[in-house]
Amino acid sequence: MTHAEMSELYELYALGVLEPELAAEIERHLNEQCEYCWEHLRSAMQVTAALAGTAEPVSPPRALRRRLLDSVRHGRPAAIPSFAVFAFSAAALACFVFFITWQVATHSTQKQIDALRHERDQLRAAIEVLSRPETRSVEFGKTENGPHGRVLLSGNGGIVFVGSQLPQLPAHQTFEMWLVPANGAPKPAGLFRLNSAGDSVNVSPLPLDGSTKAVAVSIEPERGSNEPTTKPILVVPLG
Amino acid sequence: MPAEKFIYETAGMQAGAKAEARAIELLRARDPQGLAAAYDLYASPAFALLVRITRDKIVAEDLLQEVFLRLWNHAQEFDSNRGTLGIWIMSIARHLAIDHVRSAQNRFSTKLRPIENADAPCFLRNPNTEQSRITDQQTVRDAFATLNAEEKRIIELAYFEGFSQTEIASRLEQPLGTVKSRIRSALQRLRAAVGEVGQQ
Repeated sequence: MTHAEMSELYELYALGVLEPELAAEIERHLNEQCEYCWEHLRSAMQVTAALAGTAEPVSPPRALRRRLLDSVRHGRPAAIPSFAVFAFSAAALACFVFFITWQVATHSTQKQIDALRHERDQLRAAIEVLSRPETRSVEFGKTENGPHGRVLLSGNGGIVFVGSQLPQLPAHQTFEMWLVPANGAPKPAGLFRLNSAGDSVNVSPLPLDGSTKAVAVSIEPERGSNEPTTKPILVVPLG
Repeated sequence: MPAEKFIYETAGMQAGAKAEARAIELLRARDPQGLAAAYDLYASPAFALLVRITRDKIVAEDLLQEVFLRLWNHAQEFDSNRGTLGIWIMSIARHLAIDHVRSAQNRFSTKLRPIENADAPCFLRNPNTEQSRITDQQTVRDAFATLNAEEKRIIELAYFEGFSQTEIASRLEQPLGTVKSRIRSALQRLRAAVGEVGQQ
């Protein structure tokens, strides 16, 4: 593609409406540091960014600024409602400790105890990741009646998936979490099922490197898979 | 009135390039004052954009936090030789909002999004030129008002809803060529309006 042909496309590219193949070609060219094309892109971005000005003016609540700044001053991202999540997790752990005691007292089967201990260990690990100052949170789903929750990411390793409203699975199936790189195959990051409260928590100790672009969850056979065998039911871009 | 002052004052952005440069400097030093400065410059237009796309103020508040946390967390990677802070913020806000709307619409869809391209393009080469600043809202609204109904709808579908040309053509049941030519024509008029302000 010539410069003249490309210059016709920059506004479409900046607007995000260009066909993927053409957009990829432009990106390849821009990566070659072509000064001429960067100038055109700058101009195009100016036009498209200006479109934001057609939105009705509305100011964010004043408290939002304070919350945001308080959170970074205390070294914890505001996107993590840290107290709420921590309090929820701590309360959940307390409930589980009580539930374990109660279960042991009334239905002391080894299988139940093992499952509950696993849940307790998962929650403890989740709280440990939550308590790290560098942990950040990515929310997915916003409605109560659909799958929703958070993925907590610790730069020092440790990814926690906390989900609600995931579908019930038959005994021969399980959820499997995947770390999705920009290129290459997803890496398996743990099996999990709905816990006794109907929620799900999965803690993966895998280190989170820069190549991980998303966390995905698929439904797999009971023993899990080395690569996804079904389409994921959730894909959470990590931004 | 000088173009720079005109642009920033009418856009509700009381400071200019110096304030932006200072904000970037502080952000790189991990000084929360840098985030405060960036927020004061761009939170309002970004919030307006987020509300426009999501049509939900609560969601827009969450996304606005996400935008500024990304800025805080990635300030070291921000290349001011390639872009202005304002356009970077608006670009991130737009992508996050469109992603949110699409993910809400496709909660059970399992298609992997093109993650690598989620934030692109978000840079400009030189942040200190007139052209690289966000243009005033009234001028853009005036220019937008000159578009015909079809052009407006197409630009809205593209900018605020993130549809490709093919998707727009399919949604509006119009030939792809017609959609393309309407987008070009609309952008041409908007470009002229933006250019005029920059030359004042």
